[in-house]
Amino acid sequence: MTESKVSEVLAGLQQVQHRNHLTVLKTFLNYLRRELALQTAVVSTPASLSGDALKAIEVQFSKLYNRPVNAVTQEDTSLIAGVRVRVGDDVYDASVAGRLQRLAESVN
Amino acid sequence: MKAIFITLLFALSLPLGLFSAEDLHADAHDSASVGAEHAEDGGVISELAGNFGISWPTLVAQMVNFCIVALVLYKFAVKPIAATLDERQQKIADGLQYAEEMKVQLAAAERERAEKIKEAAVEAQGILAESREQSKEMIEQKTQEAAAQAEAIIRKASEATELERQKMLSDVRQEVARLVVATSATVLSRDLSDSEKQTFSDSAAKELASAGN
Repeated sequence: MTESKVSEVLAGLQQVQHRNHLTVLKTFLNYLRRELALQTAVVSTPASLSGDALKAIEVQFSKLYNRPVNAVTQEDTSLIAGVRVRVGDDVYDASVAGRLQRLAESVN
Repeated sequence: MKAIFITLLFALSLPLGLFSAEDLHADAHDSASVGAEHAEDGGVISELAGNFGISWPTLVAQMVNFCIVALVLYKFAVKPIAATLDERQQKIADGLQYAEEMKVQLAAAERERAEKIKEAAVEAQGILAESREQSKEMIEQKTQEAAAQAEAIIRKASEATELERQKMLSDVRQEVARLVVATSATVLSRDLSDSEKQTFSDSAAKELASAGN
């Protein structure tokens, strides 16, 4: 999904003047949000992350999902240390809190 | 009975005959002279009758009279008495026969009773033995069932205890793990410095990045 493609679709919708114009636009907006979520890696971390690490995450997840993925940092002190990356509905956890939680679950 | 009666009548009629003969004898003396004359005329029988003093009309009349009396006696006295005697004799004979039959029946009933008692005793013994056997089997079966039930109860109780123990251990493990995690999280979040957290986060990010390769 690129900005030009979005502009093209919006112009097309404007020309067509669909009967349920508002509904179509809302559906397109949801589609855009989902696509944006799929192209965005939300990196949660309790401390600031180095640029190299962020870049490595972008490269790795772009390669993994076969599309450009932008990394966005988000502070989360509950993780104690480490990172948690969320791309769409997928979550990759490398935080201390997550490891402790998995450890507790493995005990059960 | 009839013979006895006839004999009795004959015995009773004998004095009447004699009495008549005496009367005839008296008359005969009176007419002896006349008789002697008739004897000479009539023959031997008339002479004998005259000698014995027999008057034929009187004799015939007495015989007829005797027969009538005999018939009347036989009809109204002897026959009912004979019937009564026969009836009584028949009753006695019947009673005796009945008594004999009753004796026989009593003996048969006694034998039958004895046999019945014997059969009942044998049957009772059989029933008793069978009952003992059945009660023994029932006791044994009930004992086995009770043992099986006790074993099942013990097994269930053991299983329940084991499950309870497992559940308790699981709860303890969960609680310990939760406490360990909570304590570790608290300790780590308190003790880790910002630089250490950044270093760990960088290494974790690189670890995530390298994990996909």
